[in-house]
Amino acid sequence: MTSTAPRQSTGHRQSLRTEILEARPVNLDGFVEEWPEKGLVAMESAFDPAPSVRVAGGQIVELDGKLRDDFDFMDTFIANHAIDVASAEESNAIPSAEIARMLINPSVSRNAVLAVTRGLTPAKVLDVVKLMNVVEIMQGMQKMRARRTPANQGHSTSARDNPIQVAADAAEGALRGFAELETTLGVLRYAPLVAIALQVGGQVGRGGVLTQCALEEATELELGMRGITAYAETISIYGTESVFIDGDDTPWSKAFLAAAYASRGIKMRFTSGTGSEVQMGNAEGKSMLYLEIRCVLMAKGAGVQGLQNGSISCIGVPGAVPGGLRAVAAENLVASMVDLECASGNDQSFSHSAMRRTARAMPQLLPGTDFVCSGYSSVPNADNMFAGSNFDTEDFDDWNTIQRDFQVDGGLRHVREDEILQAREKAARALQAVFAHLDLPPITDDEVVAATYANSSNDYPFRDVLSDLKGAQSVMDRGITGLDLVKGLESSGFHDVAENLLTVLRQRVSGDLLQTSAVLTADFVPLSAINDPNDYAGPGTGYRLEGERWEQLKKLRHVTSSTNPETEVG
Amino acid sequence: MSTRDDGPPGTQLVVGVDIGNSTTEACLAEIGPDGSISYLGTNLTRTTGVKGTPDNTAGALSAIRGALARGGRSAGEVHRVLLNEATPVISGLAMETITETIITESTMIGHNPTTPGGEGLGVGTTRSIGELGEQEPGQPVVCVVPPGWDFDDAAAAINAAVGSGVEVVAAILAGDDAVLVTNRLVRPVPVVDEVAAVEKVPLGMLAAVEVAAPGRTIRTLSNSYGLATVFGLDPAETRQVSPVARALTGNRSAVVVRTPSGDVTDRRIPVGELVLRGAGKTLRVDVDAGAEAIMDAVARAQPLDDAHGEPGTHVGGMLAQVRDTMADVMDSPGQPAVPVSDIAIRDVLAVDTFVPAEVRGGLAGEVALENAVALAAMVRTSRSRMQLVADLVSEGLGAEAAIGGIEGEMAVNGALTTPGVDRPVAVLDLGGGSTDAALLTREGKCTAVHVAGAGELVTKLIDSELALGDREVAEGVKWFPLAKVESFFHIRHEDGTVQFFDEPLPPHVYARVVVLTPEGPAPVPTRHGLDSVRRVRREAKRRVFVVNALRALRQVAPAGNLRALEFVVLLGGSALDFEIPDMIADALAPHGIVCGTGNVLGTEGPRNAVASGLVRAYAAAPVRAGQGPTR
Amino acid sequence: MTTPPATAAQPGRTVSLREIGPARRGTREDEVVVALSPAFAGHFSKTIVDVPHAEVLRQLMAGIEEQGVTARLIRVRDTADLAAISHIGAKLSGSGISVGILSRGTTMIHQKDLARLSNLELFPQSPLLDAAVFRMIGSNAAQYAKGESPQPVPTRNDQMARPRWQAKAALLHLKEFECIEGDRGPVEVEAVFGPGTAG
Repeated sequence: MTSTAPRQSTGHRQSLRTEILEARPVNLDGFVEEWPEKGLVAMESAFDPAPSVRVAGGQIVELDGKLRDDFDFMDTFIANHAIDVASAEESNAIPSAEIARMLINPSVSRNAVLAVTRGLTPAKVLDVVKLMNVVEIMQGMQKMRARRTPANQGHSTSARDNPIQVAADAAEGALRGFAELETTLGVLRYAPLVAIALQVGGQVGRGGVLTQCALEEATELELGMRGITAYAETISIYGTESVFIDGDDTPWSKAFLAAAYASRGIKMRFTSGTGSEVQMGNAEGKSMLYLEIRCVLMAKGAGVQGLQNGSISCIGVPGAVPGGLRAVAAENLVASMVDLECASGNDQSFSHSAMRRTARAMPQLLPGTDFVCSGYSSVPNADNMFAGSNFDTEDFDDWNTIQRDFQVDGGLRHVREDEILQAREKAARALQAVFAHLDLPPITDDEVVAATYANSSNDYPFRDVLSDLKGAQSVMDRGITGLDLVKGLESSGFHDVAENLLTVLRQRVSGDLLQTSAVLTADFVPLSAINDPNDYAGPGTGYRLEGERWEQLKKLRHVTSSTNPETEVG
Repeated sequence: MSTRDDGPPGTQLVVGVDIGNSTTEACLAEIGPDGSISYLGTNLTRTTGVKGTPDNTAGALSAIRGALARGGRSAGEVHRVLLNEATPVISGLAMETITETIITESTMIGHNPTTPGGEGLGVGTTRSIGELGEQEPGQPVVCVVPPGWDFDDAAAAINAAVGSGVEVVAAILAGDDAVLVTNRLVRPVPVVDEVAAVEKVPLGMLAAVEVAAPGRTIRTLSNSYGLATVFGLDPAETRQVSPVARALTGNRSAVVVRTPSGDVTDRRIPVGELVLRGAGKTLRVDVDAGAEAIMDAVARAQPLDDAHGEPGTHVGGMLAQVRDTMADVMDSPGQPAVPVSDIAIRDVLAVDTFVPAEVRGGLAGEVALENAVALAAMVRTSRSRMQLVADLVSEGLGAEAAIGGIEGEMAVNGALTTPGVDRPVAVLDLGGGSTDAALLTREGKCTAVHVAGAGELVTKLIDSELALGDREVAEGVKWFPLAKVESFFHIRHEDGTVQFFDEPLPPHVYARVVVLTPEGPAPVPTRHGLDSVRRVRREAKRRVFVVNALRALRQVAPAGNLRALEFVVLLGGSALDFEIPDMIADALAPHGIVCGTGNVLGTEGPRNAVASGLVRAYAAAPVRAGQGPTR
Repeated sequence: MTTPPATAAQPGRTVSLREIGPARRGTREDEVVVALSPAFAGHFSKTIVDVPHAEVLRQLMAGIEEQGVTARLIRVRDTADLAAISHIGAKLSGSGISVGILSRGTTMIHQKDLARLSNLELFPQSPLLDAAVFRMIGSNAAQYAKGESPQPVPTRNDQMARPRWQAKAALLHLKEFECIEGDRGPVEVEAVFGPGTAG
């Protein structure tokens, strides 16, 4: 039995149309009725608390109907660290409808909204976004997104943890436009080699791409501190105390981890999303969005620059209840409206239906977010070690076409085959040189050729896994750092790649990547809410897809030339 | 180049570098004007490329830099780098399965399921369970149950038939249901299960099913005369079925079906011949004659000039491939291609082994241990490109580099720094691809040989004999002692001793045979018990290292007489093994030889012999100006 | 596995669980405790992919019996947490080995000396568990009880299980929570199989 077996017929005679409808992929998806008492509800629940706040002696003594003595540790953390005590009572007194209107009103500046939202309680935030339909949520996102220029993130993984594949796909992904690249492993011990491959490949594709490797927290931190990765994202937080405790964590332990990254100038964000608490049976009777708002405020209170949310790995839960995707769009907006970077999901296998998959991304793609996908699979989904993404390499041309159709910037572009082949080959060669320099298991010329033309991990010669794992261990044992990668690249003639990587590493000294929504341009200029703030103020303002970038995005694989219709432009 | 003025007047900073097959070692030392040596640091890295080729440069440089870092010196202070003269050695491994067991006409089921049902012997005619109802009462029947039958239903059907007078004496099942069905029978009978291809069991034939009590083995079907009694065979027929009896020996359960020309045969697979040229002779030996015959021929063709295998066989392919690989590494741009005649297979080691293989014609995935021959071969050339490596090292480091001595001689020279060793001394370098021996006589004469087969062959034997299919696990079995995890708080070591733990062991090792790695116990995914894993491991080591130790030492010993050797020093990575040195020492003890693992410089263990030998040779050379010691 | 599943079970087979009395610590070393969740074969009658609980139990118990080991059933009533259910079972098992199972099918093999959150084998993807897998799980648990080293039951994975089953799994989990009786200890039960059964 597989989970994708078609539903069984009832045995009664069915109409031929019903048979066709039954066979549609959308009917392989699962849908359930709401159960608000248990938290199996997206955002409209009678069991969510009513907003309230009271300040006494410089601290919040009542939060959403609970007195300080009754606070759980989430309440305490949010009351102490996330909510601006000075403005809390005043902000919460503003009618929710008025705050909702501020969110979409172009003549109210983003800063004016932030002045209010920094004092709001979780229930008040919920009360506000509950008033907004999905178009209004998108309008809000368009203005509240922290960075003016939208971007996208890619997943670069390999079902065989093959570092050469990861390097080549990272180079192609960077060239296609991903500002961040994320990897993870099947066999965890491979991590050092794959993280090196991602870093080297990424810098070949486009200097300034930021990379990360999702692992258990200690190793992930160590790779970051060594400069083998550039940022971190998979630090999970939850909306109820009981789920936090199940994971042997507290808001304070997560905040401590965040401080460890910040101490080395390393960009990091938390991860959360609707549905995780009810999935674990500990929603404490609250709606998915209410609990997610608690996570957003917890992240804010911990001082991290951003949050990956949009249900993420629990997308099957909000995806199955009424209004679920509206709640998912709302949680992204909430992250942005409290001035956090938002890496907005669209990163997990979501539906059997291509139509639903596309529709799911519209509330993020159309207004633009800091990262429209927090993991577009830049490898075929079969190679995606995050259990598959909502979009993969097969969707590249569709994505580019949709950007062109609507004149929106989803962070990617069409790239000519010859450029892609050149980047893939160079990435594999650069990794070959780095491995040789670091005395790691050699990469053969055959593997380089395979990497140049490959689609999936099946297209590569088998590696000697045993030697690779020994090599990976030696990377850890020998204390190899990002600077060793720079030296290896420089000494083997990849001067430009070495320069790119060194410049990325230097960012951690300036600390610019700790700013909200920071990414690096190809010229290594940090682009963040500080120097590229979202200045949307109605039609004709804010980020507009125009000029050189729009010319880039007009290009597709096949566009008939208007000067000579017998040829294609490209 | 003159002496630098960094150190005390007249002292020279030198680095000995040994480029081996798998590791490159460096030894940093300062040599006083009087030839005295003070050692400053050693280092070990992985060899880059094939030994003796320009690719070695990178590994050599990193070994040198590591030693300098440890010694707190800089490259600019180095007076001279001394490299070993090493010729490229490429080794290859191949295995040929040389026997094949075939069952014809579905005569026999001998797969030994872990849980057969019932006990005893049942002899009757095979009938499908669906047709039991049509059976005449009074005639004994062996019930055959195809896949898809639930155990409750099968038992009910048999009970119903028995109730109506059918004499069911045994059953053969497709699923893993024998105990379940037997437990539900009104009259229990012997039941053999997990017969995947049960539909191929011939129906309407006389068959015997035997199941022994737990912990026992069958007595009747594994005995030729038992079979003769059961089936009423005459002497000629009995002779014919004796292979069946042999194939079933040691099983707890079995089925034998009497068909007109059913048989079990053990066929030899011709895998071509090996042609050995040496000692003025050309000898031909069939690979399927086994290791003993092959090694006899190798001994008669000693010293071997070359060897060829049959094209299209694994051995032929492997010999051709090592030759081609060598030709490739020897080719250099701008130079004429290396003639293949320059490249010769200089040694071959054959080892008898076995490979668990599925039996052709079997009904239940029967596995037979088929005989196989594993062959290791080694190719060398007379052409060395070490001078080029030396030039490149010199360029990369900015210090003079030269060839400082021959590998074998330098190894002995370094081994002599092991406390308690004196001339005449032989070294055995136990590597990955080859086992090397060198002898330094009392008079200072040095001879050296390389023989094929070492650590990698051991790994391969362990991997295939235990059917692991995972070289990493096989390496683990080779390197580390075994234990059985008996509870979360204790393990039993392979010597029988028990060790307790305060913290529970990780769940993935629970109840498993494990290897005790430095990182903790790691499971060995095998059905074999600890004892058989241990036996396979030790046998593999004995057949490769003990055999090769004797072979190599005989080649360097005066007149091949091992008694003429006094000290044998074991070197190389496999000399760090926890049991190989003892196994070799035991084998050499009857010849009155002192044998042990080297301890180079009294500190380095079996490592760094060649590198420190190079330093010693340089220090001892009478003239150190100009080009240094030359040969 | 070379053996195809012997699972031509009649759809008509049913099971009901008869309470015998409070669950006690077993003394036989040759037993495996099968620990059932509060709603198993009670409030619910089949797994998330409609495998009847009767068949799940029959196959688990058959896998144990085929190895010559005895199965003893208990129902845990005060928690619906699989690790807790399995660990309670393991502590009551004479061999220290248990199989814990939730109504939706999620299954775990546990051992009494392990930490509660650990396990010997875990089968988290309930939509991928069919009768043949339950047989193998029973068989492996019995082999652990005998001190043998079974190969872990191969686990399967399916990226598209999320969109189809994630929400239903959450719903079933919540329903099971509803059936918790907080103040009642584990109880020993006997499986009474309905029509279609022999022996």
